[in-house]
Amino acid sequence: MINLAYKDIRHTLSKFLVTAMGVGMLLGIVLIMIGVYRGMADDARMLLRDINADLWVVQQQTLGPFAESSRLHQDTQDILRALDGVDKTAALTLQNIQLYNRQQQAVRVMAVGFDPAGDFQIIPAQRILAGRSLRAQHFEMVVTDKTGFQLGEQIALGRDTYHVVGVVQGSVSSSGDPLVYISLKDAQNVQFSYSNPRIRNDRARGLLGQNTQLVNTVVAKVRPGYSAQEVAEQIETWKHLTAYTHEQQATILSRNVIERSSKQIGLFTAILVLVSGIIIGLIIYTMTLEKIKEISIMKLIGIPSRMVVKMIMQETLLLGAIAFVFGNIFAHLIYAQFPKRVVLMWNDSLLLFAIILTASFLASLVGVYKVMKADPASAIGG
Amino acid sequence: MSTGIRIENLQKTYGQGDNAVEVIKGACFEVQRGELAALIAPSGAGKSTLLMMIGCVLEPSGGEIWLGDTQVYADRWTTKDARTIRREKIGFIFQAHYLIPFLNVLENVSLLPQTNKEPEALIRKRATQLLDYLGLGEKLYAMPSDLSGGQNQRVAIARALATEPQIILADEPTAALDIERAHSVAKLLRQIAKEQQVAIIMVTHDERLLPYCDKILKINEGKIDTSQVESDQVI
Repeated sequence: MINLAYKDIRHTLSKFLVTAMGVGMLLGIVLIMIGVYRGMADDARMLLRDINADLWVVQQQTLGPFAESSRLHQDTQDILRALDGVDKTAALTLQNIQLYNRQQQAVRVMAVGFDPAGDFQIIPAQRILAGRSLRAQHFEMVVTDKTGFQLGEQIALGRDTYHVVGVVQGSVSSSGDPLVYISLKDAQNVQFSYSNPRIRNDRARGLLGQNTQLVNTVVAKVRPGYSAQEVAEQIETWKHLTAYTHEQQATILSRNVIERSSKQIGLFTAILVLVSGIIIGLIIYTMTLEKIKEISIMKLIGIPSRMVVKMIMQETLLLGAIAFVFGNIFAHLIYAQFPKRVVLMWNDSLLLFAIILTASFLASLVGVYKVMKADPASAIGG
Repeated sequence: MSTGIRIENLQKTYGQGDNAVEVIKGACFEVQRGELAALIAPSGAGKSTLLMMIGCVLEPSGGEIWLGDTQVYADRWTTKDARTIRREKIGFIFQAHYLIPFLNVLENVSLLPQTNKEPEALIRKRATQLLDYLGLGEKLYAMPSDLSGGQNQRVAIARALATEPQIILADEPTAALDIERAHSVAKLLRQIAKEQQVAIIMVTHDERLLPYCDKILKINEGKIDTSQVESDQVI
């Protein structure tokens, strides 16, 4: 049996492929949009995963340190370490700063401050591409590769110059800014130290001294056999702090930090999928209209409608499938050029494939409608 | 010779009441298998209407249509599936060849028999024989776009013959051809009618082609005047 769809496509192969490429690029953009969402969601939890703490202790009644600002005394880490069930703790600071590269271009980063001598591993060893983690208490910095800084580079920050001792791969904050790591002491100076004019001004106002022994959060690991939730409740009851388990902090990140952005991207993606479906429908409608005289002839000479309908449906589904392949190739070719991380996942691709096949099927109904409506009598009389 | 098509008191009225327009008013004629009949009439006299009715595309308002021994219309269709009747009993040839542009010559001729679920080898053999018979044996795998107008019209004739129909309806098959090729096609249709024993009704405006026909059907005020072409006039 002659396959009409195969014959028709072969006859107009270049036109069919160019059409599929056009639709494919649109699908590629849809995939990138989904990838941006995935990247955002993944970035939001990256630091959480890297530090892998059981508890995140923050200023009372705040959603810190990611969703709200939070300040704690540094010695909170010692108080918490003494609690029953707590294995180890680490005080952290997190702050957005701007560094300047050799070309004096601003590079926005998030600086994570931690005690290099502490027993909590803040930088996972597998992330280190070159150099090492922090060792000294001052003027060392570990940078993420996306910042563009190189190992051994000198970077000015505040009143001091930092030496890049390590480069890590792909570490970003919940907002997608690349991370740099400095010692807790340096971070406290950067975040909490005032400038000389400000100190003089404060002294004139009778405000003496400044407390730089502050941190934004204290993370903790609980001992085996202890429940993180129970330890968190104990901290909240007796220490007037708020403590979140790993899962609660993840929820805060997804609900409070990236919710609006993800909804925005989700809506944009849904519109793009809808537009893709409409475009496929219009293409099939046009392709069917181009063949309407032949279809009328086929119906007149007795070719069953099911044969013509089969041709339209096969062409539509094939168009959707080829567009999907082109879309994937296109997305994989360009995704690395985006400034924020784009995560392309095969299950998202497969879901989009199912949606596009469904959309293609629905779009083919437009062509099928034209086939059913084609009047065989129109073939007679010119 | 046996009957190819017989029409009894065929009528067609468009519209109803005061707006009713009676186009065909009790047409009667018969074309035997092996005969080539010309259907002539001025524009607007109802040629296309008559052709569509006997081609089972348009439902008449009354009368009878017989294709061979089968009565396909007796004040209503005798079968639910007019398309099957068209596929099995009627061949169509049009002004333009209207071949399917994405199928080659052999596929264009084989397509319709394939829907009748005949054996593939048999279909191919018959299509090849037909194309050979029509002088296109060398062009089996050519695309319609690679052939001349006359060659394409011969492929269209082969397509019309592919299901061994009882009747072929040719709607001005020479309209798009120059006079030399028009004569050649008319001659071919006559030859086919005789050799394939099929009744052919050819709509034409060109009186120069009438000598190729056995019979002339002229629509006159909604009725058919039938006249035989004198044997000494037949080319």
